[in-house]
Order: sequence, then structure tokens, then C-alpha cells
Amino acid sequence: MSSDYEYSDEEDFYDDDEDMASAGDDDSAPSDDDMDMDSFADDFKVPQHPPRKSYEIEHEPLSQQAVERLMTTDVDHISGIFGVNESTAALLLRYMNWNKERLIEKYMDNASSVSVAAGVSTPSRASPSVSGPAPIRSSGTRRRTIRQTPVPKAEPSVCPICFDDSQTSFLALSCDHSFCISCWAAYITSKIREEGEHAVRCMAEGCALVAPDPFVVSTLANSGEDEDGRTRERFQELLVRHFVSANPHLKYCPYPSCTYTVSCPSASSRSSLTTMVPTVSCGASHKFCFGCHIDSDHRPVVCPIAKMWLKKCRDDSETANWIKSNTKECSKCQSTIEKNGGCNHMTCKKCKHEFCWVCMGPWSEHGTAWYSCNRYDEKGGVDARDAQSKSRASLERYLHYYNRWANHEQSAKLSVELYNKTEKKMEEMQITSSLTWIEVQFMKRAVEEAERCRATLKWTYAMAFYLDRGNEKELFEDNQRDLEKAVEDLSELLESPIDPETISTLRQKVTDKTVYVAKRNEILLKDTSDGFAEERWKWNIAVEGFD
Amino acid sequence: MDARLRRVNKEIADCKNDKSSNIKIELVDASPFHLKGSFPGPQDTPYEGGHFEVDIVIPDSYPFQPVKMKFITKVYHPNISSASGAICLDILKDAWSPVLTLKSTLISLQSLLCSPEPNDPQDAEVAKHYTTSKRSFDETARYWTQIYAGGPAVKKMEVKEPQKDEIAIAGLEKAHVDQFEGLGFERSKVIDVLRRLNYRGANVANIAEDRIVEELLK
Repeated sequence: MSSDYEYSDEEDFYDDDEDMASAGDDDSAPSDDDMDMDSFADDFKVPQHPPRKSYEIEHEPLSQQAVERLMTTDVDHISGIFGVNESTAALLLRYMNWNKERLIEKYMDNASSVSVAAGVSTPSRASPSVSGPAPIRSSGTRRRTIRQTPVPKAEPSVCPICFDDSQTSFLALSCDHSFCISCWAAYITSKIREEGEHAVRCMAEGCALVAPDPFVVSTLANSGEDEDGRTRERFQELLVRHFVSANPHLKYCPYPSCTYTVSCPSASSRSSLTTMVPTVSCGASHKFCFGCHIDSDHRPVVCPIAKMWLKKCRDDSETANWIKSNTKECSKCQSTIEKNGGCNHMTCKKCKHEFCWVCMGPWSEHGTAWYSCNRYDEKGGVDARDAQSKSRASLERYLHYYNRWANHEQSAKLSVELYNKTEKKMEEMQITSSLTWIEVQFMKRAVEEAERCRATLKWTYAMAFYLDRGNEKELFEDNQRDLEKAVEDLSELLESPIDPETISTLRQKVTDKTVYVAKRNEILLKDTSDGFAEERWKWNIAVEGFD
Repeated sequence: MDARLRRVNKEIADCKNDKSSNIKIELVDASPFHLKGSFPGPQDTPYEGGHFEVDIVIPDSYPFQPVKMKFITKVYHPNISSASGAICLDILKDAWSPVLTLKSTLISLQSLLCSPEPNDPQDAEVAKHYTTSKRSFDETARYWTQIYAGGPAVKKMEVKEPQKDEIAIAGLEKAHVDQFEGLGFERSKVIDVLRRLNYRGANVANIAEDRIVEELLK
């Protein structure tokens, strides 16, 4: 069984799990280790990064801090080229959705119009103080930096928003619309917390100036409005989110309240999705697909095919089942017909073809036998039934794949139950035998592996449905069959009763089988993914993105 | 004092002291955060002579989030829902600025009555009426002003036939309604269908009578 692959040291094999968990927690140093969560190759304690397998995709989990560093790099770059300060560069970049090339092009073309549109400067501002286009902005931004600090006014005046006449601390952006600091802070808080808006505009009506980051941060800090720092935090998060959503190489981990981002440049284009399945995992080892939202891991099938399959299942399965059991096709035009009563003399509504419901032969040969058909073996009837069986075959073919697909999906849903059962079994083992807790972990490991393989198997049926007939498909189905057989064997072992006498052989068997199953899964994934890369797979239907 | 309360009180006081703008704000109940605003319909519009009331709710984060306003008085206008009084106006949504006040917002509503924006409608049926036949729309809006907002009686409608009302409210021609009523359909159903299909002005030529009968039979 598993003799080809020697994984003799079991302790190592189990320790591995814990190592993984601790690697996942460490958000400051995400490394390639995280990628191989689901494979067995890294059971070997290799000091270097385990080599990436061909069916895995190169990606890098990034913590929020790491994404912020990427942002800063872009901002510094632009600020260096344009000779503006960082906060201005950040506003310009956000306005252009972080498209540096377009920003540089547009800015070189007409700097002032871009600045106005980005809310960096006011339209009228350009003329009064300075002349000449380029230096204005730098002086303009410098002026703003000075103004960001609250200017205490000698005597209290009335803020036009809260009508408080005792306010002494007033702030304004470079547009000179001045409001008291508590109004600013309340406004910024409401924009960030309630609207989730990172671009906070000046409060004056119709003023399009956007508050630069230092203004937002210092106002929140100086006003005492944001004592727990949560608004500031949220602001930072909104900025990061905007950056991530603008960048096709980056995706947020879709798991609730996970703050990781994954960078996967090779899966950023739509066309790349036809040659690989970008299953990635974030720094907290949440697995998800970089290319679609269908399933967290739909390997070995690529996104467009998985999507097509799901759509077909949603549209067709129930209908197909019903059609199969309740209808026949007209032997001439193949429209589907339900017989809802009456005699066997059918007239197709569509093509007006008259035939017998029982033998499917043309009615003209029937004479007057209205309620019975004794002409089952006549040539006309046999031909008609042949044609019918062909159209039935395509339906049956679909149902064949669908039922297996659904079966594996169903067993994945039952996995919680299986876990509980296994846990009970593990306890039982500890009681009835001399095995320790750590030694019965092989059961859990086996269940996990079986579940993982079922997920793969499930999607292989979607793939096989669309694969064109030929040697390639046969090889694929061989791999599929081997994996399925191995998984079923393993499942059976897991179900078998525990007998203190045979427990050690059972343990040996299960462990061997687990390793074997994992290897079969890997072989299938690798071969399929190689096939995609080599464009070896041929489809029996036009698939989006393929020729 | 709470900044929101201080601001609202000041706004109400300012409005009371200002006699020139004709804009009134009054309390609905004991709370200063649920108000009723009112203003006269602007001159040289179908709303002239009417008195329009607006329900005002001041949210907790006012003035940093916009006030919630909707018409209490029924208004026939493309940007105001003829059923609920909901208003489609940018400053009540994303173009809100904390500098705007209740008074300035009510003035904006008044000017919305002067310049409807049928391309960004709140009430699609009314907007369709507006774009198909401005003249017929004005007539209906004037009629609504008369019956709902206490505007002056429309000359043409001074001789009131008892069944004239609902046809005029829907902005339809009596002859059209009579025509289909004559076929044996219920009047209210005829009005409903004709209004929905916008059977008005130049559009009458575009809608086959069969189509209407088909709708009536549904």
C-alpha cells in the first residue's frame, strides 16, 4: 500500500501540526512555510523552505503592517518624483486608485487639474499668491502643513457649525474654511466610523478639499474625541482596504475579522485563471481561492469550469431528475413531452408528429390500437427508441457526475459528525488500550485527510463532466478512481470497531492508508495542474477563457 | 450643553427671528429633534400659492450627518415620491455639509420645486409625465397644489364635476378615461392602468388601445 513512500517517523509527522499553528500565529514573518499546510511532504524536518509543489501557487501572506509598508513605498516614490510631501502624494494616489503610471502621466500633463480633482488644492488657489505652475503646489502644501496645527485665537469666536462662542481652537485646510476643533473631530469620526469613508472632505458646502492624513490624525489626537484610538485604527484600516482593493495583486482574506492580505501576482489576470487554481492561504492559515468566491479550495478544477459546473447544477439538477422520471422525447423533434393522461396516441405540440407513447414508433403504422400497443418490435419503434435513448444518455451522463459530486459534498457536510464520532473513538482507545493521547492522534489525522481528499474528489467530477473523451480523460479518471478507492478504504477502516487485540494493527493500517491517500491526492492534484499549465486538457464545451 | 441641542435651538431661534424668508420651523412634540418645517410654493411654478409642510428628523450625529426630511404635503414632482413624500436631493445625501442648516435645506427644497430634475427621478411615473408633456404635468401639479397644499383654485377646474377629481389627480384626460370606462371597465382600474402606461400628451399616439385593454384584463 504505502510502501513506496516511507514516512517512518510518526512523532515528527504529528508534531508538524503544532509547528504549523505557531507559524501561522506569527504575523511579522510570514514565510513560504505557510503554503504547504495540507501536504505531507513537509513531514520531513527540512531546515529550508520546502519546495513549492507544481500545483501550488506562489503567494505571500501580508500582515496589515506589511501592506502599509507597500503603501508607503508607493507614496515615497510619487512624493519623490513630484516634489510634494507624503500626504499630498497619498491623496493623489488614492484619487487615481493607486495607478502610479496613470497618475504620473496625468500629473505631468496637467498638474493643477489633477490636484483639484484629488482634493489637494482649491481651483482658485492657484492664482493669488504665487505665479508659475510648478512651485505653487509645493508652497501650497507647505502652507497647509503649517496650518494643520491648531492655531489658538486670541479671543474666542463662534464656530459656524456648533454655534459655540467659547471656542478658541480653530482649524482649517488650505481653503481657509475654519471650524472649531471639536466639530472637526466629530465630523471626521462620523465620516470614518459611520460612513467608512477614508477621504474626509472640508466641511464647508461645495468645498472639495480632502483632509490630508496628518490633519485627520492630529485632529483626532488633539481633540480627545478618539480616546481609545479606535477611530484612528479604523481610518488606517480603510486606507489599507482601499489600497488592497485597487491592487489586482492583492486580496483580502475573506474570513471574518481576519486582517491578513495575500499577495499573488501570478493570479492577478483573468487569463491566468485558466492555467492554474490559485488556492492561497493567509498568515492565519485560512484557505481561500484568489480567483473566485466559489469555494475555498476547488482544486483541481480551474475557476471558470468550477463556475460553469455550479451554474449547471443550480439550474439543472432538480429539473433533470424530474425530466428523467416523468417525460419522454418526441422521436422526431426531441422536444420533451410529459404525458398527463389520455390514450397512447401522442401528437407533438411542436412538430405535430404523431407517435405511440409505448413503442415510440410513428402512429401511422398503428392503425386503430388506441389503448394498447402490440407492435413493440416493429422497426419504426426500435429506431425511435434508439434516438430517444441517445438524448436520455446525455441526461444520465450529467446525473452520473452530479450524483457523485453531490455525494462527496454531502459527506463533507457530515464531517462534523464524523469528527465527534472519531473523538469518542479516540477516547475509547485510550481507555481500552495502552495507547496515549498523542498516539491516538492518527485517527484524527486520518479523518482530516479523508475529508481533504473528498473535497478534491468532489471537484474531479465537475472536471470529468467537461473533459472531452480521449486518453487524457482516461488517465484523469484512472487517477480519480485510485484516489476514490483509497479514500473509501480509509473510511471503512475508520468505521471499523475497536478491538483491544487488534488495535495496533489497525493503527498501522490506518496510518499507512492515510499516507497513501495523501500521496494519491497529491498525484492527482499535480497531474491535473500540470495538465492545465501544458494546456493538455480538452473540453467538450466552450469554456470561458480557453480557445 | 450638548453641541447638537445648542445648534438646533439656535437654528430654530434664527428661523423665528428671520421674517423675510417665509420659512417656518415648529416643534412637533416636546423633542427639539423632531420638527415640522413649512414654506410657500415658489412663484411662477405650478406650486405657487401652496403651503408645503416637511417632516424633519434630526439624527444623533447631526450636523455631521444630514437631516432626514420628507414632505408631509402631497406634491406632484419628479423628485418627490407622490406616495410617501420621500425626497431625492443630493444635499440630503452625499453632498451634505455640516455648514448647511435646517433653513438653508428648506430653501433648497423650495428651489427644488422650481427646478425639477426628471433625469434623476424619485417618482418614475411622475417623471415620465413631466418629460412627455410638460403642459399636462403643470396642470396636474397645479391641481395637486390646489387640493393638497391649499393653493388657489385652477380656473379650468372651477366648474367641478364630481368625478373630475381622481382623473385630474392622475394627470389624465377625462375623454380617455371615459372611452375605456365605456368598454365596461371599472373607473379606478382604468385610471390606474392609464397612469401606469403614461397615457398622456404625445404618448397617446404611441400606445395601442389593444395594449391598454390587455392591461385592463390582467
